[in-house]
Amino acid sequence: MITIPVASLNASYIFALEYYLMTEKKFTDPIFMIWSTKPTVMLGKYQDVSTEVDLTYIQNHDIQLVRRCSGGGTIYTDNGCCQFSLVQPTNKKIIDFSDGIHIIATALKETGFHITPDSRNDLIDDVGFKVSGNAQYLLNDYRLHHGSLLFDPDQVFMNNALRSDPVKLKAKGISSTRQRTGNLKRQQPTWSPSKFKKELNAAVLNNVPHKIYHLCSKDKERINDIAEQRFCSGNLLSSSEKLSFLKKRYIKGAGLVQLKFEVKENKLRHVRINGDFFSELDPQKFSNILDGTPFTPSAIHQIIEKALQPTPIVGITAGELVDLIFKKNCPHTRH
Amino acid sequence: MIKEVHMPKLSPKSNQYFFGEWLKEPGDKVSKGDVLFEVETDKVVSQVESQETGVLKEHQVKSGQTVVVGDLVATIEVSES
Repeated sequence: MITIPVASLNASYIFALEYYLMTEKKFTDPIFMIWSTKPTVMLGKYQDVSTEVDLTYIQNHDIQLVRRCSGGGTIYTDNGCCQFSLVQPTNKKIIDFSDGIHIIATALKETGFHITPDSRNDLIDDVGFKVSGNAQYLLNDYRLHHGSLLFDPDQVFMNNALRSDPVKLKAKGISSTRQRTGNLKRQQPTWSPSKFKKELNAAVLNNVPHKIYHLCSKDKERINDIAEQRFCSGNLLSSSEKLSFLKKRYIKGAGLVQLKFEVKENKLRHVRINGDFFSELDPQKFSNILDGTPFTPSAIHQIIEKALQPTPIVGITAGELVDLIFKKNCPHTRH
Repeated sequence: MIKEVHMPKLSPKSNQYFFGEWLKEPGDKVSKGDVLFEVETDKVVSQVESQETGVLKEHQVKSGQTVVVGDLVATIEVSES
């Protein structure tokens, strides 16, 4: 087995790392990684954002929103949780959670936790509460199994960020199954999340011969590219959803800038720019040139830079407008 | 000759899958082993590959539909030779 130390708390980067390992790096040995995130909501591949997540709440609390490539429901994670990934070469197309569940369940038991796998491939604690959810995707003769372990997450964020009963909202995609969740800290109250992570990692690696692979700068460069292409906020929408945004910022030396726009099918639509800045920029031409641009920072930056060349905005750069577009998540969605 | 593509069994537990998305469109050339579409079941997203080489003729299901193992999902025109 190979283990890769993961320092990033950015779920987009870590999902891109998993994808990179399956599509480009293609190790022939299984890879195991343990990681955590900043406050993050992770959607399953075929879920609707609007039926699963309280977008206003996550925007107001600076919670990252990312879509996984795997199936299953929406989860909340933060530095009080511990995530794991197992990337395995496989030529079997049949669904099989047994290896990943066995590795984690064994390590948890060896570190003193009482847990049991259930029929949904989740782990349940000694009082019947869910403490781990697991999901997979199969791609290019690789199986990715990743899971979340609830050690001591922020329960207030978790309860408010996720919609409590998404089925009633008539989701068009896969709906989450809400279960009563517990936390593993109850069984080890003196442990910090980082101690839990360290103990769990040691227990997993103690059971299998392994070597450590450190990502090099070339790896990291590709992972960042994949994160932007596949796991940025533009990929949050299911095909039937449209997001509307209103972003405002006062830029010293320039004035107030307001950008209204929509994102549909991961493309920028109907951009309206206004404010009290100085420029000869024609807002309609600006809107037209951006219409249909892929919703990624690099694609939008390229177009805005071109638009501002003949008609600059005094005191505002293309980069600042791109930052404004991507700074936070959206106020609302509609189908 | 027209060959039918049927939904294969991917899960030992379930015969009903959520149809995710098409990765080939009608008129596209497909080779054996090319990924045709993606489905989700039991929290797993799986890709289904073509068993034929030819031209994809028709989609029989849409994204978001529920498909059952054995359902006709597409047709592929293969050369007679």
